This record gives sequence, structure tokens and C-alpha cells, in this order.
Amino acid sequence: MTLIKKHDATGDAPREFRHQSRDRAGLLCQLEADAPEQRRWAALDLAAFSDAADALCDRLEQETQTPVREAILTSLIQIGGNPVVCGLMPLLRSEDAALRNQVIEALQQLPEAVSPYIERMLADDDADYRIFAINVLANLRHPQAPAWLQDVIERDDNINACAAAVDGLAEIGTPEAIPALTALPERFADDPFMQFCTQTAIRRIQGHGA
Amino acid sequence: MKKILVIDDAATVRMYYRQVLEAEGFAVEEAGNGYEGLEKALTEAFDLYIVDINMPKMDGYTLLRTIRQEPTICATPAIMISTEGQIQDANAAYAAGANLYFNKPVRPESLITTARLLTGEHRA
Repeated sequence: MTLIKKHDATGDAPREFRHQSRDRAGLLCQLEADAPEQRRWAALDLAAFSDAADALCDRLEQETQTPVREAILTSLIQIGGNPVVCGLMPLLRSEDAALRNQVIEALQQLPEAVSPYIERMLADDDADYRIFAINVLANLRHPQAPAWLQDVIERDDNINACAAAVDGLAEIGTPEAIPALTALPERFADDPFMQFCTQTAIRRIQGHGA
Repeated sequence: MKKILVIDDAATVRMYYRQVLEAEGFAVEEAGNGYEGLEKALTEAFDLYIVDINMPKMDGYTLLRTIRQEPTICATPAIMISTEGQIQDANAAYAAGANLYFNKPVRPESLITTARLLTGEHRA
């Protein structure tokens, strides 16, 4: 049987916007191009260069185009490791809520790389930053995540940080967290929400659903 | 019965608002992120949206800006509730289209009063 190649592979290839060479220097130059499509291609191709994390994180902070941001985050997750986590962590302080949430989702996909930094993040002076770190933990596939969340409800004085940790424990908590959850409402005795959410988390951990 | 859509990624928060509001006679629907919230808002009629800021997939600001550009739902009032307590956070909420902004945690009586006010469900 004869196999007939119906289409010329080069003729059908999607039109690409690679005006720079595809070496590291050329891609870094293209990452700053005016056209979003060029920046997007450069971001995707830079996944092959493990030392491009700093440049990608710098670009991410300025980037306003969603497809380019997504390409940068895809490459950063692929590169992984400490430089990526160190480059992403400061972006949790961004005023841009969409960017913060994208960074949270990216960090959740780097459990081993992010784990050495969790305690420092949870000890930050800024309660909002701690809450974002707790948001990372709530969907972090790391065996220590429940223990870190429990630590938050035992030590953090901020009611919203504790509430975020309780919400995380409702999803991933283990029976070891129940004494800490039981004790928590006493620290925020005048807040009915804290009473409600700790009871809900305990019921979920005990397998009684919502 | 007035119908409220609660959009927040924290399940315990959604359940709490539901308990508080249903006890006062409101019907409550939930969404766990901005995309899900937008989808529900476009397919069902609501009298009020209660929206968190920081959510996966679509944040609350983006959601509200999108709602305010949709002719069929742009007039529905919205309360934005977040852990972020800086004045710029409130300003950003109002710029995105919120009618009111609260810091978490919200007292149940505040939630009920404002829900009644914004839905026109006044009681003596």
C-alpha cells in the first residue's frame, strides 16, 4: 500500500511570528517585542532555557495580555525550581488581582520547589500576603500542607488568615487538626463566622459532609 | 422571593452567607469562581451578586467589569467582599462596578441589611 502525503508539512504549518533567532539572546529580545504574539512565542520557547526564569518573571510583572501571561506561566512551571518560585513570590504583592491569582495557581503546581519557602511566607508581616500563601497551600499537593494550615490557626492573629486556613482544612484537613479547630473560635469569640466555619470544617474532616 | 448569587472560592464562606441569607427569606445560589459566577449570572436572573475579589480562573474585579458590560445583567446590584482592607481596594471595587464594599468578616446583620436594601426587600 502506498502512503500518500496529502499536505506538505511546511506549507500547512501555522504562521509564526519569529523574527528573532531562537537562541536565548534572540528569544529574550523577542520577549520585549511590541506584538503580543511575538512575546507569546518567545515566552513559550524560553521554556527550554532554565536560566530564563528571571527574565520571564520580570516580563510577567509588566505583561497585560492574558495569552502572553499564560505562555509565561506555562514556561515557568515547566522550568520549575527555586529561581521560579523566588521570582513568582513577590508577585503575590501585586495590585493586579488577576496576576496574583495566576501566580497562586502556578505556585500550586510547584509543590516541592515552593515548600522550603512556605514558613517564611506564612510569617510575613502583611496579612494579605499570608492569606495568598494560605491560598497556595489549600491546593498544594504536599504532605505537609495540612500541618502548615494547622499551624496558621494556632498562631496567626489575623481572623481572615485563620478563616482562609480553616477553609483549606475543610478540604484537605486530617483528624489531627480537630483539636486546633475546636480551640480556634475562643480566640475570635465575638465572630459568628469563625464559629460557623470551624464547625463546618470539623464536620467535613469527620466525613459528615457540609 | 429575592434571589442572590454568592461568588466566592471559599466553600465555608459561601455556606455561611447561604445560611444567613436563607434564614431571612432570600434564595441563594453559589459559584466557586468568577467564570462559574458569570455563567450563572448570564443564564439565571438574580436580584443581587455577592462577589469575592481573589478567586481562581476569574477574579472579582474582572467579573464585575464583565457584568457591567452585559446589557441584560448590568443593572443588578453587587456587593464586593474581601479580606483586603486598604482604601485602594474599596476604590478598585467601586471602579469595577460594585455598589458596596465590605471587608471580611462581614457581620450577619450588615449582610442582611444591605441585601434587603439593594434588593428592595424592605421590612419594617
